[in-house]
Amino acid sequence: MSEAVHNTQGSNKPFPFVMKPVAPEEESALRESLKRCSPSTFEAAIQFRKTGNPEHLPAVVIGVIERFVEPDLRVKLKDADDDLRLIEDLGIDSLTMMEIVILVEDVLQMSINNDELRNLRTVGDVKMFIDCKVRGLPLPKPTKFLPIEQIAATMPIQPPFLFLNEASVSSSGANAKYKISGQEFFLQGHFKDNPVMPASIMLEALGQLAVLYLLEGLTPEPGKVVNPQMIFFTGCEGVRAHRVCKPGDILTLSIKPRRMKMPLATFEGSIRVGQEKAVIAEEITLTFGFSEVAVQPVAAAAPGQENVNGAAPASSPLRVAASA
Amino acid sequence: MPRVFVTGIGLITSIGNDAAAVTESLRELRHGFELYPPFQRDDIPVKVAAPVKGFQTDSTDPEDWTFPARYRIRREVIRGMAPHGVYAWCAMQQAIEDAKLEEADCSNADTGLYAASGGSPYLMGHMLQRMHTQGVMRCSPLGIVASISGTLNFNLVAHFRIKGASCGFSSACASSSHALGYAYDDLVLGRQKRMFVVGAEDGNVDSILPFAGMRALSLQADPQQASRPFDAARDGFVGTGGAAVLVLETEDEVARRGAKVYCEVAGWGQASDGHNVAISHPDGEGLRQAMAHALRAGGTPAEAVDYVNAHATSTPIGDTSEVRALKAVFQTPDTRPAISSTKALTGHGLSLAGAMESAFCALAIRDGFMPGSAHISRLDPECEGLNILRSTLAAAPNVVLNNSSGFGGANVSLLFKRAT
Repeated sequence: MSEAVHNTQGSNKPFPFVMKPVAPEEESALRESLKRCSPSTFEAAIQFRKTGNPEHLPAVVIGVIERFVEPDLRVKLKDADDDLRLIEDLGIDSLTMMEIVILVEDVLQMSINNDELRNLRTVGDVKMFIDCKVRGLPLPKPTKFLPIEQIAATMPIQPPFLFLNEASVSSSGANAKYKISGQEFFLQGHFKDNPVMPASIMLEALGQLAVLYLLEGLTPEPGKVVNPQMIFFTGCEGVRAHRVCKPGDILTLSIKPRRMKMPLATFEGSIRVGQEKAVIAEEITLTFGFSEVAVQPVAAAAPGQENVNGAAPASSPLRVAASA
Repeated sequence: MPRVFVTGIGLITSIGNDAAAVTESLRELRHGFELYPPFQRDDIPVKVAAPVKGFQTDSTDPEDWTFPARYRIRREVIRGMAPHGVYAWCAMQQAIEDAKLEEADCSNADTGLYAASGGSPYLMGHMLQRMHTQGVMRCSPLGIVASISGTLNFNLVAHFRIKGASCGFSSACASSSHALGYAYDDLVLGRQKRMFVVGAEDGNVDSILPFAGMRALSLQADPQQASRPFDAARDGFVGTGGAAVLVLETEDEVARRGAKVYCEVAGWGQASDGHNVAISHPDGEGLRQAMAHALRAGGTPAEAVDYVNAHATSTPIGDTSEVRALKAVFQTPDTRPAISSTKALTGHGLSLAGAMESAFCALAIRDGFMPGSAHISRLDPECEGLNILRSTLAAAPNVVLNNSSGFGGANVSLLFKRAT
């Protein structure tokens, strides 16, 4: 969870720590509940019990998820970014998700209801969700997965200058993939007989993902909607290219908001190819403006509406189809 | 009408964890009883049980369970299982291997699975206790499928990718005999080509001890004496658990696959006492009728039967009923079959019993022996005139009946014949 997100939700106040003693029987019950989790999971859980400090939550949540993931897939959790998907990447089915929820409820002494769970599709969703629950904050909008058609329908930028194939947007950031097809027009000249993705275009792709975040992610001011016609690039800092990228490479793009205050939004961004770093941009800054029309509350909820109405994606991990 | 054959067997029982070990125990009259550790308390008058060996399923958490090293069970498979689901899963592996079935042979529209167990009182109790103490939403998400009656078929059908008929049978101690009977019918009627028949029980504290209340359990503390069907001093049954799997196939399937066969399933019969919810008819009226139906269905005269694997559980009333029924069916003393109750060795497996003892019959026919009725020191005078085997006969039976009786007076008799 980035600071930016908490800032934007007005929750950067220090958490009121009150040390609570944990009775020996409570500690042994906790140890029993977490007996199949790593020792660090228990350690984080006991610290959370004692201090109530939500900083310990990610370790607890990841530890609980890890315990239910088949051993051969656990390695994925080791260096997982928040975008790791529960179903597709970790093989967690709806019943396993219920097991995870029950253990989390037990360990964190909270209750989670089914409706709240439908939208948890990534590790980041789960961490964010638990964090908000503990802090008593409104729950974040679920991660949205956008295929190319939806990206093209949303973006002011269009092919052949759109460098996002698919994207996911949550309140904490956005991720996307772009496969260098080799058919990009500029590769004919960059370079002669040696097609290499221009670093400037990769920076452009990160900027495009930031645009998508402004349009589909967390709005900089509640109740307002960013006007797609009013987003422009203003600057970037600390850009480094680490790897030559060529046709066939799949770029994994990632941006996180750092500051958002009308009319500027600043992001950090990175591109990887597999596990290799390709591009780092410490800061990419866009300028933006809001649409004239103030948004009605109903419309404000529109992006998440498919979930509100219960029409969650069929692959949602929390749709337990009890055929009994 | 197509003929039906037994082509595969899998066994996890108190007297052995595969067909070879079980055959040896049956031949040598080696029992599976012990002073069961959880019963060794002053407030529990029952002392003996016949637990499955090589498995540890005492915990309410399936991930704590241990089982023989030859089996590998993934977490996502074991998490929805009762202890007897694990026994049955292992017995299924054996039966599939024994029948030389490929994955495609098991998972198709022509292959079904009928199962019987009493559910898992142990896990049900745990789940309800958790619900009452920790709250409704803290029940394990798989608590239901692991514990209710039907848990056996839910799990096996899902994990072995069964696509044909599937169902659970519930007639207490006649359950898995009913399962076998109806599996036979489906094959004979051309509805299926191959059926797995499975019986299983947890055989632990919570599945056995409730029978103490109805005074059905032996209070003997000597494992050699606790289960002694047909003995004059018998005082109740000894509980057991485990799993038995039989693979039944039509003659066409047997020919197509070139499968080896144990024996033929030649017919079956059932009838009910219409008498009492828990006590058998004093003259074994329903069981007599069931045996008569089975013989008629198989076109077999009573004189042709060589061996009867009796239901006899070692309860005073139940054994007497069966003895009277046997006398009524086999009226000519000279041609009366050899009779034994293998519950003297295994204990009473409840829903497991019918399938387990059917597997014993198949082994007896194939391997050429008739297991004796162990632990009789003084034969009940009521048995006079019947040929109760006191030791194992090294002779191959050609025609065998296997009896089962359950609560409510449900009786099933299954007829097996040497394959010709």
